Amino acid sequence: MAGAVRRKIAFPRYAEYHCAFRYIAEQALGVQYILPPPLTRHTMELGAKYSPEFVCTPFKTCLGSMIEALEAGADTLFMTHGLCRLGYYGELLEQILRDLGYQFDFINLSDYDMSKKKDLIKVVRRFNPKVNPARFLTQFMEGARMVEYLDEITAEYYRNCGFDASGGDYKRAYQNFLNDMYTAQNRADVENGYRRARSAMQAVPLDKPERPLRVGIAGEFYTVMDAFSNLELEQKLADMRVEVHRWMNVTNQFMHYKSHRNMRVKIMDLCQYEMGPTAAANIWWAKRCAERNFDGIVHIKSASCTPEIDVMPVLQTISRDYKIPVLYLTYDAQTSDVGLQTRLEAFYDMIDMRKKVL
Amino acid sequence: MKKVGITIGLPRALLYYRYRVFWETFFQELGFEIVASEPTNREILEQGAALAIDEACLSLKVYLGHVAALVGKCDFILIPRISNFGRHRNMCTRFEALPDLTRHVFRDRRLQILSYELDVLEKKDEENALMEMCRTLDCVSTKAFKRAYKKAKKADTEHFRERCRKQDALARRDGMKVLIAAHSYVAEDPFMGRMVTDYLRKNGVIPLRADLTDRDDALKHSRELSPTCKWEISREILGGIQKRKDGVDGIILLSAFPCGPDAMVNELIARRVKGIPMLNLVLDAQSGTAGVETRLESFIDIIRFKEGSL
Repeated sequence: MAGAVRRKIAFPRYAEYHCAFRYIAEQALGVQYILPPPLTRHTMELGAKYSPEFVCTPFKTCLGSMIEALEAGADTLFMTHGLCRLGYYGELLEQILRDLGYQFDFINLSDYDMSKKKDLIKVVRRFNPKVNPARFLTQFMEGARMVEYLDEITAEYYRNCGFDASGGDYKRAYQNFLNDMYTAQNRADVENGYRRARSAMQAVPLDKPERPLRVGIAGEFYTVMDAFSNLELEQKLADMRVEVHRWMNVTNQFMHYKSHRNMRVKIMDLCQYEMGPTAAANIWWAKRCAERNFDGIVHIKSASCTPEIDVMPVLQTISRDYKIPVLYLTYDAQTSDVGLQTRLEAFYDMIDMRKKVL
Repeated sequence: MKKVGITIGLPRALLYYRYRVFWETFFQELGFEIVASEPTNREILEQGAALAIDEACLSLKVYLGHVAALVGKCDFILIPRISNFGRHRNMCTRFEALPDLTRHVFRDRRLQILSYELDVLEKKDEENALMEMCRTLDCVSTKAFKRAYKKAKKADTEHFRERCRKQDALARRDGMKVLIAAHSYVAEDPFMGRMVTDYLRKNGVIPLRADLTDRDDALKHSRELSPTCKWEISREILGGIQKRKDGVDGIILLSAFPCGPDAMVNELIARRVKGIPMLNLVLDAQSGTAGVETRLESFIDIIRFKEGSL
């Protein structure tokens, strides 16, 4: 009987990736996707209320988003595994939600050894026992393709949106693209949406100086990408007419660079060993920004994120050796929009002045 | 045994408390001199806190203070990178970053760091990692290495077994017993956990340690409390709690602010281990003994009150 009812699954809100989650859930797995409401202050308060105090902020955000997803009608929650504390999120989230009295099914990747093909099939079968593996694979790859497009267009958007001379067409093109991705039903929709966005964005006249201010963004995997969690840092910087460059996204971290070994060759002078899950990428990116004469680097992390705290001494060395300013930002559930704006303005004034002098 | 004329410094913090016997036997057997930093004092703590990033955990601040205390007193400072012992047997990512992190914190002082990389998932086991390290020193023969490693391993196992036996003997004693769930470097540090055990003993309570229990056994039992816990030390503690919880009167979850794994695992313990008084004590650089003692006093009172002896 249970097999006849379609699961209603949800995953916490995470940047714009819900478009791809929906595509994979509905097209590849054949289950219903419940979109959790957009993240708000209320989500954070909800999450912070029931979380342990010193856990990293994304845990609180995830908990809040999961509660909102359950309230919105989800009956199955999904949590990924990970190399840092993320690998333990699933079990604790489930325990807290059960203690709150919610009824749901929980699929936790940490329960499985995802390096084994057998376990991978087990997970897929748990979502939907009737899933056709061949169809799943093609549709999953299309979902992955969507992730690549999302990351590509998003990166393009933040590089240029500050110089939009048309008064909002650039942003509109980006919003239309996100809508297209969220409503895509098949491969043609995905490809057409991407092409439409590309030509729409190219058509917008840009008023960019010859040497604009360029800022590199590095940091912890969740907060650096999720615009709500970092209080729209990238948009804020872009609005000051800054080119914003962020390397860290799902495509670059997981799909284009399967191994960090080659990346580590380029930072041999800075660190001998792998320092943490995203350390190599962040150090490499910071060094690259410095070498390419960027005007500044912003390092983003959530409060008490262990791996990123440990990266900071290395970034301090880069900052000193290459004479590049680094702004270190820590986000917790209480970080205020106004406080961030003030710090960014001060940072902007400083790098702007340096550019004029140097 | 011939001397090689090299002195190795061991910072008395973090994994020193786990590997002390192993490291000392190993290096002495190979003819190295050993120097450990003084037990933690106010000066070490303050120096470490000044060196570390503000948000780092108290244990790391103490560690950096110990490294600073060793500068100039030895040829090399031993800082291994210990990542994991296998699947779901990880260390906190801080132990992965430790050698590089320390090097960058002391970037102006040209620190000579001796390091080995223990990462079983990447096929780097302890023996090979240590052998590789010895090769860089260029004064150790393979034969001498094998002998020293074997002897150190044996000494370490025996030492640990002896400590576990002592715990078993304590657990059989009559009187109020409290189980302390803490990383060894928190529980045994004079500026962190030692004041807790001292206070308990002074007030007639027998402190037991969750992590001092047969490790293989603890790893197995930890699964009953938390099936996906992935940190080696946390799993040993979980296993120890599972094994001893029925024989003790209370549990103290003792952690250093803000310990990453403890922040989550202790929450889970509090939610899953029911029916026994539990105190969640987080130590930070500011906490003097007075605040901690007040909380311990009321905790002991609660236990006595519950048992009707107050």
